[in-house]
Amino acid sequence: MGHPAIEISGLTKRYGVGEAAVDALKGVDMVVQPGEVVGLIGPSGSGKSTLLKCLGAVIEPTAGRMALAGETIYDHGWKVADLRALRRDRIGFVFQAPYLIPFLDVTDNVAVLPMLAGVSNAKARERAREMLAALDVGHRAQAQVPQLSGGEQQRVAIARALVNQAPIILADEPTAPLDSERALTVIRILNEMAQRFGTAIIVVTHDEKIIPTFRRIYHIRDGRTYEEAGEARAA
Amino acid sequence: MINLAGRDILHGWGKFVFTGLGLGLLIGVTLSMAGIYRGLVDDGRVLLQNGGADLWVVQRDTLGPYAEPSSVRDDAYRGLLGIRGVAAAGNVTYLTMQIQHQRGEVRVMLVGFEPGHPGEPGYLVAGRPITRAHYEAIADLRSGLKLGERIRIRRHEYTVVGLTRRMVSSGGDPMIFVPLKDAQEVQFLKDNDALLNERARTAANPAFNRPGVPGLLEAVQASQASSHNVNVVMLRLAPQADETVVAREIRRWKHLEAYTRSDMDEILVAKLIATSARQIFMFLVILSIVSAAIVAFIIYTMTLNKVREIAVLKLIGARNRTIAAMILQQALGLGAIGFIVGKTAATLWAPIFPKYVLLLPGDAVLGAILVLAISALASIVAIRAALRVDPATAIGG
Repeated sequence: MGHPAIEISGLTKRYGVGEAAVDALKGVDMVVQPGEVVGLIGPSGSGKSTLLKCLGAVIEPTAGRMALAGETIYDHGWKVADLRALRRDRIGFVFQAPYLIPFLDVTDNVAVLPMLAGVSNAKARERAREMLAALDVGHRAQAQVPQLSGGEQQRVAIARALVNQAPIILADEPTAPLDSERALTVIRILNEMAQRFGTAIIVVTHDEKIIPTFRRIYHIRDGRTYEEAGEARAA
Repeated sequence: MINLAGRDILHGWGKFVFTGLGLGLLIGVTLSMAGIYRGLVDDGRVLLQNGGADLWVVQRDTLGPYAEPSSVRDDAYRGLLGIRGVAAAGNVTYLTMQIQHQRGEVRVMLVGFEPGHPGEPGYLVAGRPITRAHYEAIADLRSGLKLGERIRIRRHEYTVVGLTRRMVSSGGDPMIFVPLKDAQEVQFLKDNDALLNERARTAANPAFNRPGVPGLLEAVQASQASSHNVNVVMLRLAPQADETVVAREIRRWKHLEAYTRSDMDEILVAKLIATSARQIFMFLVILSIVSAAIVAFIIYTMTLNKVREIAVLKLIGARNRTIAAMILQQALGLGAIGFIVGKTAATLWAPIFPKYVLLLPGDAVLGAILVLAISALASIVAIRAALRVDPATAIGG
């Protein structure tokens, strides 16, 4: 068996110093295998966003170890040199709102990621169109962002997250602005993409409608995670 | 890589173009100010060229005839013609005045000259030269006068018989050329009431009205009613003559001041219009600062409106230089649009200005470089703001 897509142990994050210090994460452990879609659930202020930012190599943890696809990213103060390249090549992001770039058309919104990685414009656009087709929005490839529905925009955002074939996707409340039907569609798509590309996907959510669709869920509370397996939830 | 700046501009082209238009009008004003300065200098130089003189002989210890008043006897030219190297001499008077014509009034510089001598208009664009001794005039086109038009100057009416171009004073007032004797009369003679009054005063003065000296009073009164002064004697030198040597001779033997062309250029450009030039330079500096502030403000605002997009771009791996290049290119684009609009506007409205506006290609090139440099500098604030955007802001919480 290969490496886990995400492997975290004893991850802590402290904001501030002295008496004003706040421990947002207090020793988080997490393992996510390739092709797995995992839910991350917790109340406001529990540390969800901090964990997501650590996983996304946007902020550095204070202590602990984190490895993505077998490569150690943080290890008790040590970190990989080029976090920007790591984010570009290894991690895909899907946000609560699609956050597409309004001055680019649909194809270029997806193609911009491989372009940033140095892929030629023609090749990047070809990959973007393939990914858009895989997400059933290929017919809107030439459209401008404001011409898309909310669901279509979210699919384009997912296409952007997947286009560089990143082994990990971090989805921050991707269904929040969608109705039930569309929310379930987005989760179905994420599951399909995880199966198809072997991508590990962590979905942060409050959305009660989609929680039952996860086979594994990590609850986070007061900076600590608690794993809940699907069987346990069924029981 | 996609040209992000170009895409953003195309996406909001209306806002961008209108902003560029506004900036362009400001740049147009700046270019026009530079053109006004160039026009002032050129007016001065044209004034020197068109007289056809090599030396200007004026009253001693003055910077006449353009920068200071100067009065020289009108027979001084005879002695000047005797100096080795002097080929021709012409008496000239200058008087700035307001004249009435059929469509209104205009401020002009009245030039008295002797036809065929230095000081006459360099060329005509219509009509003929002055052929009569009195009451004919040649006018610069900018005066608005037409051929055959009759104008009143003091006590007499003059007929415009010729038109010339680019004959203006250092202040930009169009010139009207009239025969020297007429100009002397206009400049020095008094009106009838003043003459009668002056005669009565002279007659009441026992020093001039002595019973034992017949003819004295009449002689004094005649001298009061005529003038034999001019403002400058213009000299044309023989081809081999050294102007500095001739000028030195005149200063030494004729007790007059003589200026070469380079001396006059110095007086006109460095002294006469120096204050105006400094004034215009200050305007140029202020307008440049205002332009820079406007570009900086616009680019900064445009950047702040894209904070979320910048955060997303940084989160997905865009380099800082990609973001900085996008903002810099937009600032340069705005500057380029502004310059094109400004140059076009300045070119279109230059002929409407009452004074000559000279837009030199070299100034336009320098202006373009300055606009782009100012735009690049103005983008620094926005680039700093963009580089401070934390990619984490793209993730909620």
